[in-house]
Amino acid sequence: MSTLEVKNLHVAIDTQEEGHQEILKGVNLTMSTGEIHAIMGPNGTGKSTLSETIMGNPTYHVTDGDILLDGKSILNMPVDERARAGLFLAMQYPAEIAGVTNAEFLRAAINARRDDDHQISVMEFLKFLDKNMKILDMDEDMAERYLNQGFSGGEKKRNEILQLMMIQPSFAILDEIDSGLDIDAMKVVAKGVNSMRGDNFGALIITHYQRLLNYIVPDVVHVIMDGRVVKTGGADLAQKLEDEGYAGLRDELGIDVPLVDDHLSTSTTKEG
Amino acid sequence: MKLATTLPIDPEQVTAFSKAHGEPAWMTQIRQTALSRFDDLEFPQFERMNYRNWPLTNTQELTGVDSDPKLLDDIEMFHDDAAGVLIQFGKNTTKTQLDPELAQQGVVFTDIFTAEQKYPELLKQYYMQLAITADANKLTAFHAALMNNGAFVYVPKNVVIKKPLQGFYFQDSTQKQDFVHHLLLIADEGSEVTYLENYQTVGDTPNVANILAEVIAKDNSHVHFSAVDELSATSTTYLNRRGYLMNDAQIDWAIGAMNNGNIISDFDSELKGRGSHAEVNVVAIATGRQVQGIETRVTNYGKKTIGNILQHGVILERATLTFNGVGHIVKGARGSDAQQESRVLMLSNRAIGDANPILLIDENDVMAGHAASVGRVDEQQMYYLMSRGIDKATAERLVIRGFLGSVLMAIPVKAAREQLTATIERKLRDGQTTEND
Repeated sequence: MSTLEVKNLHVAIDTQEEGHQEILKGVNLTMSTGEIHAIMGPNGTGKSTLSETIMGNPTYHVTDGDILLDGKSILNMPVDERARAGLFLAMQYPAEIAGVTNAEFLRAAINARRDDDHQISVMEFLKFLDKNMKILDMDEDMAERYLNQGFSGGEKKRNEILQLMMIQPSFAILDEIDSGLDIDAMKVVAKGVNSMRGDNFGALIITHYQRLLNYIVPDVVHVIMDGRVVKTGGADLAQKLEDEGYAGLRDELGIDVPLVDDHLSTSTTKEG
Repeated sequence: MKLATTLPIDPEQVTAFSKAHGEPAWMTQIRQTALSRFDDLEFPQFERMNYRNWPLTNTQELTGVDSDPKLLDDIEMFHDDAAGVLIQFGKNTTKTQLDPELAQQGVVFTDIFTAEQKYPELLKQYYMQLAITADANKLTAFHAALMNNGAFVYVPKNVVIKKPLQGFYFQDSTQKQDFVHHLLLIADEGSEVTYLENYQTVGDTPNVANILAEVIAKDNSHVHFSAVDELSATSTTYLNRRGYLMNDAQIDWAIGAMNNGNIISDFDSELKGRGSHAEVNVVAIATGRQVQGIETRVTNYGKKTIGNILQHGVILERATLTFNGVGHIVKGARGSDAQQESRVLMLSNRAIGDANPILLIDENDVMAGHAASVGRVDEQQMYYLMSRGIDKATAERLVIRGFLGSVLMAIPVKAAREQLTATIERKLRDGQTTEND
């Protein structure tokens, strides 16, 4: 069993427009393989910052606190080392790389985890790829297309999940994997993630809406607001948010933070 | 070392060399004329390239002994699928092979000295007469006077050769010797040929290379011309490939500029005939402290001619790479099209890169466009690849391979594509290793 711990994490970014900005203000979170956690929260509260920081995106600076994988700090590890240590991030905006085929890239990623004498054979690789692509309902030609090049939004998301299934990390962070997906595509993505469920796999699902959690039922739900985890509960917490909106929880907890661009909260406010 | 502006060569040396190779009198005359013109001619000029300290004309005066073919034993040459093979080393030819069926049809693939004797009419008409002339500049005159090896390809009317003809040309730098190599390729009317050439250097003696390739594409012919250039770091080179295209002819160039030494490469397509068409794809890698200047030029003379230039280059360590893309549409070439794209990727802070689009348009009724950029490896792409566990060096190579891929795909022969891919991989690895030191 592996554990991933986020301890009192403070993260800042430096932007040209707004200068130094603290985004995470002391996040605490512990999860183990075998568990699915969800992180919900209004827009602009640091959900993506948390996922990118765990993965090691150099844009984000940890100013305090720690991230531990199996008790060891990973803060000094570059992104590729973190990946080989077992972390995976399904990104919201995957990069497009012309001239490198999807299949070639996936093989390189798998082989990066193996030593020179145990590289995956072509046959073994193709069999595994074929199996996973079937689960995700992907066209065969997606393997030979250039990595994310000209992929639709939905194809990119599916491709992120394909990578997840091929690489088989200990912990996967799914950053708004549901955004821009119709219900059928979301079901397919959920099917892929659910096929990974087991004792050796944990996932942190970052989402704005509760909808995805109907298909990937989480064990634990955390709500993040203003750079902190403000509430943790079971799957029913997601449902409660769906019914009452973030504004309801904010008011209940007495947090003084404006909710920007939050459809969920505005719609419920109107009803109330 | 300074560029010599006069040649220390005695005309009698040239005549003696010509005689020793059994050349006909007209060929000896070409050499003598070129030698006598050398002093008066100018060096060719290339925008933003400066080679005045290169010993490009500091000749070894036709010296040198025969090359030992055993030295080629360990060099891998992929030509299993070839219709014809020519291997040359220094001033010697070590292998000539051509599918008998093609020979029967009149196809010729042989060394230049044999061609002078067996096909004098074709050589008299085309050798340094049409595509590149001896008196074009000092470096072409140097070539005409001192040419010491070469190849000749002739494809008769309406003959279509499916499998490639492959030339492997090795500079012998185990000794002091100029490498003055010539290719004359003539695709007669309605013919089609795939030709593939590979230049390498054996040995590490500093030497001069002066390489000219003339491609004559007659009416309705189609030439697929691929090259992998891999001369060594101790070679200083002038390389000029020029296509002369007649009515509705097409040349598809795919060139891997993988040389390790200082080099000026000049790739030209003269779209003389109406409706003629040139596709020029160039990939280059510059490493170490070398300077590579690559000028790719397409000149539209004929009506409705099309020229497309695509050049992608990568620079490592302290190397310099300059791409000039020249699209020249002359008055009267109505309905013509000249497009070009030059992109340079720098992997090191000490690399110097330049991409210059040069459009010279003297006709109104035409289309023309250009794109050029010099940049660094995209951070987002690197982060994405590394987030999948791929280490930095491998990720960098993947991004670069993708960047160079468009040209790689244009190479028609799988073996050549694989050879070039392997060369790119090796050059990148070597460059990355020293980079991290």
